[in-house]
This record gives sequence, structure tokens and C-alpha cells, in this order.
Amino acid sequence: MVLDVTARNLAEKDPEKQVLFSVQEKYFEIGRDTENRMRYGAWQIKEIVDLTLQPMQTRREQYLINFDTDVEEVEIEANLSYFISGKKGDVVYSVKEKLTYELE
Amino acid sequence: MKILQRLVPFIMGILLIFLPMSLLAMEKKADTLDELLEMFDESSCMECHEEAHGEWSKSWHAKAVVSSLGGMHNFIEIGLAKEWETPLTKAQIMKCLDCHAPIVNYASEELAVKIGRMIVTAHKEKGKPAGDTIQKELARLNVGCLSCHNIKATEVARGFNGPAERGMIYGPNGEDAGDAHETLEVADITRSSFCMQCHGIYKAADGETIQCNTLSGSYQNTYLALGGSKSCQDCHMKKGHLFPGGHDLDTVKEGLGFEVQINPYKHLPGQIKGVKSPKNWVPSAVVNVFIENKTGHRVPDG
Repeated sequence: MVLDVTARNLAEKDPEKQVLFSVQEKYFEIGRDTENRMRYGAWQIKEIVDLTLQPMQTRREQYLINFDTDVEEVEIEANLSYFISGKKGDVVYSVKEKLTYELE
Repeated sequence: MKILQRLVPFIMGILLIFLPMSLLAMEKKADTLDELLEMFDESSCMECHEEAHGEWSKSWHAKAVVSSLGGMHNFIEIGLAKEWETPLTKAQIMKCLDCHAPIVNYASEELAVKIGRMIVTAHKEKGKPAGDTIQKELARLNVGCLSCHNIKATEVARGFNGPAERGMIYGPNGEDAGDAHETLEVADITRSSFCMQCHGIYKAADGETIQCNTLSGSYQNTYLALGGSKSCQDCHMKKGHLFPGGHDLDTVKEGLGFEVQINPYKHLPGQIKGVKSPKNWVPSAVVNVFIENKTGHRVPDG
């Protein structure tokens, strides 16, 4: 499962320069064998490193983002995606919010 | 003579204990896939249980073999052949098929190995006529009605329940099914421990551990420990025998809470390096994301 948080400058036309902030958190299990090597085969995995979300728990991620002094309008987007396999993922939740700042 | 008379009940007792065990060991094993499927014929189940069968046919249980060909192929070709340098035997392939197709427990050694070879070919020749033909054959193997309602039904408490009786249908309430079949109530089938036979770390007969998934571990050691009391069935049987889980976006959504709180503010001038006007207030935001795992197990599960 992946959380993506992105902040974009909506006044910027160039898509490459539009992204002001981007972060990605991954929640997953690392399967490892008895020699602590990361493994994918069910027969190879004997222990895990647990980076998943635990039942009945709420995970909190916090980001403090500073923009440049000439940024007037920002769109912040947070997407939570669930990957049933490494290849196939779906966005489970998506939140977008626009922020405006008065320039000095 | 008196000694002999005293020994008779003892000998009879020994025979009574060991005879059923030896009969069990001698139980006929199927030599062909057709014979195996005939031994556990499920074709008549849908005549009365149409709804349950309809749900099941769309479930991942119904394609438990063909949806996992890659993993099983890797176990045979990489795990057994290369890493362990061990021949493919029934005991080895059962490390996959005891859960993915429990009826293979009743296959002969030769048939079980043949099924293992078919799995390898179906994966290697995927998309080609030969591979597709074998895949169609393999699609007949799955976690079917009798996998849960007979073969695995008594396994959780085998000592108490004894082995499953051939032809008996085990269910949560033991409802009389008339002439269709005999029914026995087995509460185990309503408990998480029943699902945990396969949906957790699997311990093979030779002691090897196989980690296809680890759901039962986090269910037992975290969810129950934190006071959770729902069973697997409480959530995953809301749609009957469809058993939706991670493959179903609605179920994933139901199991997760998501809240994002965004607080805009202006940071003190002079504190943020690299801004265009160091003497100006800096547009800023604090983003808090709360992700709640409302399920009874870790998310995601490996």
C-alpha cells in the first residue's frame, strides 16, 4: 500500500516545475530468509520485517511544507493506493485541497 | 488356555485400534484427474445450493490453482529443482496444493507429481495452445465445496473431531438435507481458526514453513491481543461464498479509514533558506494524514 502526498503550484504551466513537494510512504512486508536476505518465494520466507499497518491502529503521517515566497496558490493531493500485486494498484482514497496565500 | 482367553480381548482391542488406521492408509488414491474429481464430485451441490455456488464460482477460491501458477511454478522449478536439489514428489507439491486444491491429498503419488508438472507447463506455455489446454484442466482443481465442507472440516480439532468421513457434509448447523447427503454440525467452520489452516503461515507435514501470507499471525497476535473479537467469516462472508478480500476494492475501502487535514500558515521570515525573498513571510502548510486499519489483520498482507 502506498501513500502519495504532492503539492503543486497551479500558476506554473511547466509540469516539471509544477511539483513543489512530493513524498511517498510504502506499507509492506519484507520477507526474509534465515540469512536475512530479502526474498519473494513463499518457501524462502521464514521471517518478515513488518512495515504494514497494524490492525485497530491509526497511522499518522505529518509533513511540514514550506513553499517559495512568490507562491500564491497550491493544490495539495493525498492518494492512498492498494497494490494487490506489484503490477496492479488501485487508488482507494484521494483527497485534494487548494490553498491560497496573499503575497506581500 | 486361560492365558489365551485373557489375551483375546487384548488382541481384539489392538485390532480395533489399528484396523481403521490401516484401512485409512490403504484408502484408494486416484490415478487420474477424472477419477480424483469423481471421488469428490461437487456437480450436484449447485442443484440445491445455487446461490452459494454462484457466489463461489466468482470467488478466488474457485481459481485457487490457476491464479497461483506463477508462485507454484517457481516453487517447483526454483525452490525444489535449483535451491533444494530435491525431486518433485507428492509430499513436496502438497506444500502448495494442500491449500490450493485439497482434494489432491487423495491423488496417487504419480498423479500428484503429474499435476505438479502440469502447473510448470501451464505457466511456461501461458498464452500458447498447449499451455491453455493444460490450464483448462488445472482449472478443475480449486478450493471447492468439499475442500471446506469435508476435507478440511475437521482438521482444526482433528483429535476431537476425528478424520472427515467420506461423503459427509460438514456445516455450521448440521441442517437435515434429506436424501441429498448426510450432514454433521461442526462449529469449527465458523471460527477463524478454520480459515487460518491456509490463510497464515503453513506448516507442512515435514516441518517446512511456507509463507504465502501471514494474516493469521497479525490476527492472533495483534488484533485479538488488542481486544478484537470478530472472526474472519464476520467480514469476509458478508457476500456469502464470494469471500471478498484484497482483490475487491470495496472490501479494501471498507477496511481502511483515510483522513487528511491540511493547515495552511505563513512561516516566520528569515528561517527558511533558499526562498526568493528572505524578508517575506513564507507560504507553508502542515499536512496530517491519518490511515486507520479497521480490519482484523495487517494491511497489506504479504
